[in-house]
Amino acid sequence: MKKSYYLWLVLIFFNMTMVLAQEKTVTGTVTDDAGLPLPGANVIIKQTNTGTQSDFDGNYTISAAVGQTLSFSYVGFETQELKVGASNTMSVSLRPGALLEEVVVTGYSTRNKTVQTSAVVSISASEISQLAPTTSVDNLLQGKAAGVQVTAANGKPGQGAFVRIRGTGSLSAGGSSPLYLVDGAPIREEELGNIATSDIENITILKDAATTARYGSRGSNGVVVITTKTGNRNKDATVRYSSRFGTTTRVDLNYTMMDATQKLQYERDMYALGVAGAAALPGVTTQPGSPERDRLTRNALDWEELVLKDGYVQNNNISIDGGAEKMDYFFSVGHDKNTGIIDKISGFERLNSRLNVNFDAKEWLSVGVNVGYARSLSDEPRDRNNSQNPFRHMLDVNPYETEFVLDEFDQITYNENGEPIYNTTTTGYPVRRALETEPAFEVENITLANVDALVKFSKSLSYGFSFAVNHLNRRRETYSKPGGVLDDLIGNADFPGRKTDANTQRLDMTASNRLNYTLITENHNLNILGLFEYNFNEVNTLSAISRGFSSPLLTTQSNAGFTDSASTTRNRLTLVSYGAFADYDFNQRYLASASIRRDGSSNFGSDVQYGTFYSGSIGWNVAKENFFKVDAIDDLKIRAAIGTVGNRSGIDRYEAQGFVGFAQYPGGLATEPSNFPNPELQWETTQTTNVGIELNMFNRRISFVGDYFVRNTTELLFDIPRSDESGVDTVAGNAAEIENGGIELSLQADIVRSPDVTWTIGGNILLLTKSEIVSLPNGAPIDPPNTFNIRWDEGTKINEHFLIRYAGLDSNTGRPMYYGADGNTYFADEMPEDDNQNRVFQGKSTIADKEGGFFNNIVYKGFGLRTDFVFKYGNWINNFVKSNVVSDGLAVDANQATEAFNYWQQPGDTDVSMSPIYRNDEGSLAANTDRFLERGDYIRMRNVTLSYSFPKKTLEKSPLSNLRVYVQGQNLLTFTKFFGDPEVGLSSGETISFADSVAPGEATLYSYPNTKSIQVGLDVSF
Amino acid sequence: MLVVLAGTIVSCDKQLDQLPFDGLATDNAFVSVDDFENGIRGVYIALVRVGRDGSTSTGYYGASDAGALLSAPDVMSDNVTMAISGRTSKSTIHNFRYSPSQSNLGNLYRDAYSLIYRANQVLFFAETFEGENKTNIVAEAKALRAMAHFDLVKNFGKIPTQSGDANGSLGVAYVTEADPNITPERETVGAVYGKIVTDLTDAVAGINVTNDPGRLNRNAVNLLLSRVYLYMGQWQNSIDAANAVTTSVAARANVVNVWDDSSQDGLIFSIPNEASVLNAGVGVTWSQGPLSGTFLPEYAVSFELFNTYSADDIRKAAYITFGTDSNGKDYNAIRKLLGKTGQTNGVVDIKIFRAAEAKLNKAEALFNLGSEVPARNALDEVRSRRYTAPPSGETGTALRDAIRLERRLEFAFEYQRFYDLKRWGLPIERTNAGDEADGTGVPSEILTLSAGSTKFQLPIDQGIIDSNNNIVQNPGY
Repeated sequence: MKKSYYLWLVLIFFNMTMVLAQEKTVTGTVTDDAGLPLPGANVIIKQTNTGTQSDFDGNYTISAAVGQTLSFSYVGFETQELKVGASNTMSVSLRPGALLEEVVVTGYSTRNKTVQTSAVVSISASEISQLAPTTSVDNLLQGKAAGVQVTAANGKPGQGAFVRIRGTGSLSAGGSSPLYLVDGAPIREEELGNIATSDIENITILKDAATTARYGSRGSNGVVVITTKTGNRNKDATVRYSSRFGTTTRVDLNYTMMDATQKLQYERDMYALGVAGAAALPGVTTQPGSPERDRLTRNALDWEELVLKDGYVQNNNISIDGGAEKMDYFFSVGHDKNTGIIDKISGFERLNSRLNVNFDAKEWLSVGVNVGYARSLSDEPRDRNNSQNPFRHMLDVNPYETEFVLDEFDQITYNENGEPIYNTTTTGYPVRRALETEPAFEVENITLANVDALVKFSKSLSYGFSFAVNHLNRRRETYSKPGGVLDDLIGNADFPGRKTDANTQRLDMTASNRLNYTLITENHNLNILGLFEYNFNEVNTLSAISRGFSSPLLTTQSNAGFTDSASTTRNRLTLVSYGAFADYDFNQRYLASASIRRDGSSNFGSDVQYGTFYSGSIGWNVAKENFFKVDAIDDLKIRAAIGTVGNRSGIDRYEAQGFVGFAQYPGGLATEPSNFPNPELQWETTQTTNVGIELNMFNRRISFVGDYFVRNTTELLFDIPRSDESGVDTVAGNAAEIENGGIELSLQADIVRSPDVTWTIGGNILLLTKSEIVSLPNGAPIDPPNTFNIRWDEGTKINEHFLIRYAGLDSNTGRPMYYGADGNTYFADEMPEDDNQNRVFQGKSTIADKEGGFFNNIVYKGFGLRTDFVFKYGNWINNFVKSNVVSDGLAVDANQATEAFNYWQQPGDTDVSMSPIYRNDEGSLAANTDRFLERGDYIRMRNVTLSYSFPKKTLEKSPLSNLRVYVQGQNLLTFTKFFGDPEVGLSSGETISFADSVAPGEATLYSYPNTKSIQVGLDVSF
Repeated sequence: MLVVLAGTIVSCDKQLDQLPFDGLATDNAFVSVDDFENGIRGVYIALVRVGRDGSTSTGYYGASDAGALLSAPDVMSDNVTMAISGRTSKSTIHNFRYSPSQSNLGNLYRDAYSLIYRANQVLFFAETFEGENKTNIVAEAKALRAMAHFDLVKNFGKIPTQSGDANGSLGVAYVTEADPNITPERETVGAVYGKIVTDLTDAVAGINVTNDPGRLNRNAVNLLLSRVYLYMGQWQNSIDAANAVTTSVAARANVVNVWDDSSQDGLIFSIPNEASVLNAGVGVTWSQGPLSGTFLPEYAVSFELFNTYSADDIRKAAYITFGTDSNGKDYNAIRKLLGKTGQTNGVVDIKIFRAAEAKLNKAEALFNLGSEVPARNALDEVRSRRYTAPPSGETGTALRDAIRLERRLEFAFEYQRFYDLKRWGLPIERTNAGDEADGTGVPSEILTLSAGSTKFQLPIDQGIIDSNNNIVQNPGY
């Protein structure tokens, strides 16, 4: 029965014939030097594709012919080879010593972890697979690597995150994101959602100049190198199928909105306090017990429940990998769906496929190709700060308001077309109808391809050429259907409906030439890499808007009445790079690396296009010294690195040049300045200094990494304000200086490591001790664009809130008080100076100064329980949503949180909000106050997974080699004092877009909520 | 292979020279005759729209909620009363509450200098240009540059006739180069007016007698010159310049139609404002919406001014209309920016210079020279085209007051009143009447600004000083 079940599973996906060899059966045990079994060791018959793995007890069985050679290998141990002889039993004991096998990506090359001298963090495929099955790579990085700060943009399916490595390294929007590379091709942070996490072999985060300087002009905010999977040589194909299904809902909030009875009561209470806006509300105009009141409560709705739904997430993925002696391959196809949590629309869906092949064409020549394609479709609900946004709407609408207009018998009324008539509600906007009549979606097609050739001139000299392409085609369609909500409100009666199509083509090509020289002698290891690279990026957009649609079924503009507007744009950015990188070690004991790279970029002044970036690093592995006799310590490495890295993002592409645009003026065209030239515009440069220590103990059961870093960024790319008399607002230039510094600690320990039980704990933390603006252009403070109340000034933290301080309530009257600039307390109408001048810095920034994650993983005989937590501490969020749902009577016509009842009523009341009598005080202060500025600290259980891997023994008689089932929860627990969900990235995506965000996490403003999910999954391979 | 590699390196280096596709290199934008026509229109458009760093300002003749030239000179005077049911826009300047940290007329300052940059850019490229239209283009650019500096200095500095110390007091920087990196100092009022006169004199000599609609011509420059001389107290020069204006004063029959664009009579410089071209909703500066029922006024005609128009004065109907808001309150609404015929959308031609001013400038200058009869004759040229039974025959102080009164009546809501009171050394005195049509309702909060107050010179925004430390704040702030 059991066996047929497995077979059924297999046959569902593949109709496969198993060819069984005719040789004899060899069995044995693979153990380590201490005699402990090594589960999962590879046993391969040399010169064939055949191989197997040892089971949990280290036992293996394989069919082989006499005279063939078996190769036994295991990560961290030396490979052993044995010839099959007369005996049917072949047991081996592998020697450690091969601890060196772990290699890390260090920039255009890889290096053994023991000898590398840079602060890098590597996240392996196995770790990725155990983690939260997020659809996007950047979200996955949170809590996984010390020094990496991740702020989810919002909870929209497929949406990415703001990633900052070692603080905020730039002051321009988009300038602080790391460089992401997928198999050598750059990809933008916004587009990471197109990479299937199951295709990833490794994510390496390069943090200090020793490695980032190799990426020259683009590495200053760190580099995230994503490598996709390859097959194993000489191995029969492994087919893996994984499937996951679960539900997704909004994360639990720590406040509740009023129900109908409460809201009606609240309105009455407010009216009694003189809140005039309540006069016409039903809480005042109807009496409790009256038929009108009964009708309201009888038809009451939970609008959150109505607007939201329990969504589902679903993922199916198949991969096939393997290889022959001269080639290897990895193939995958996957499908993801996440419906999101808004009822009536469908969320996010992605289809992806990949093929990676490497082939040894000649003794001296190998070629390879990695191609991935993904297509994603995402519904784009309005992310505005008004009732068009479902997430604002559901909080604003009063619970006694109905979805449809009801007749006197509480029955839904219909229009002449037989459609139910929606209630426009106090918000004036029937959002549930709008979700049907105002569809918006985005389709992205992305192709990532990389071809490469490697020529070996000799054992020590080789030349590599690679060509990488990242091509994105994005189409965004927004339709106001004729007869729809917006058409009724603002449409053109003669030409109903309005359609917008916006298309973006983004092409990024990199051609890379590498000349590599390696010298290995008994004591010396030297590797020198010469680089010449060319990168070309072009963006083309096309958009058209038309009006006049005879039917909502017409969704393209070909039948529209007339074209409202149409436009195309194009821009290019190029980069030419030369580099030389060298790595050296003496007996793995004394380590040194150096790099120099020269980059020319088209977006700088023609005489200063080139920048030179260098790094130098040294290391000493004390444990390799002969005098070092502490057996418990495997590695004790001290390393130091210094170097410079550049940044060119965050400014427009032609900022160095002066150019004009044209507008219409009576009589003809009018020439308007578009950009004021700055021929001296050049690289933003970050100097990074890093000192680190790496310690591995007890056969690497405990590993610790500590780093101290200072990042000093000068010549910041900046829109420098010019004198107003010049008639020029700003000119992009290099000015200002910022500094980030901190300590990173990460620790991982196998508390128990035995054949039956493995218990691993680990964690990491970034202590951002410095995040400071050192100097600004002209020394003058700047209120950065696309922020609410952030001000930059010399000596302040980056992205500090700049607000009037709330001083609590006058306990006798419940009236709010505020601090004036002079430090005394005042009522709002008595504030000294004008309102702007009472704003102050308080050292409260949007940037967390402590951030990290920790995990706990217990595996017992195939059962696994893993939990992952992430945390942030020290950031401040301006909670605008709270100010609206606990509005002191100001927004009495909108629904309120039950917390709104907790206001000052009599002298002595503490822990209450102001008396609604003074509700206008706050608004009378032209500038915002910090009354709703809250700590954004939280600890969140990002992931909990309970899994069971069937023992090899059980699977032996099935065609399956691996079977794992699991149940997983995401975001199930959160610890915070924040009012609402503290995981805030975008406030409102249409107020400040992802690309324009300068201070992510500054404020809450109804963006897509984060979600929690519970999923069940299955991984099977054969 | 090395050859291939070397070849690639060279060709890649060329790839670093990228030119924008979505814009035209500035050097290439000022070459041909047409380029300069486009270029000069680019200076004019800055009057109503200035794009900067992703946002667009409405220009200093636009409908700024903070106040611009279109509104500020009347908002800061006795001509209007703030409508309490409106959005209370521009209340800071109406109540003289401006301070360096409140954004008040800072945008006017920035927008005027943006226009000046563009004029200087045209002048810079014109130096090496020899096209047939060069003389006219250069003249227009200089006239626009002078006009913008004049609009700056009359707000942020004293007016020469205002007080004895005016010519030596803080004026504004007179900028004559298109250079983002300058950090000029404020020049004296006298120096600024001197440069304005120089630019305008040059312009008069070079400008065409007629130019396209929406562009300055010789009459416009002469009119502006006559006003500048009047502000300087150079009476004879003002008279001479006014005499050079050939446009006749609009006939009484056309006065109403001028303000809904159905007549062009008496207009010297006016910017056509069509929905398909500029579509500048300038009327929002005074009010929004249809006059009946849902009218949303920002300011109403002050009850005192309303009563000052005599019944036979055609301007009462031309400048003032009746509006009712959603609460049923009635207002004496300002009609000048309401809309074209039949419209209340606020999209209407922007009238900047009219022929009547030449007569009134001349009348005032002649009076100051003691030539009362010619002065009265000039005044009567306007009055005879406004009233059915025009007053006349005044002498002495009565004549002076009649000239001043007529200037107020003729140019109410037309960007002059505040400067007139300022240069005459008079206080601003509002009555206690309310905002509604019958004088009831809520009066303006602040009723007087005493003569000689430092608040007649607007403060320089702190942001302006932050970006150029050479700029000195006005006394009193």
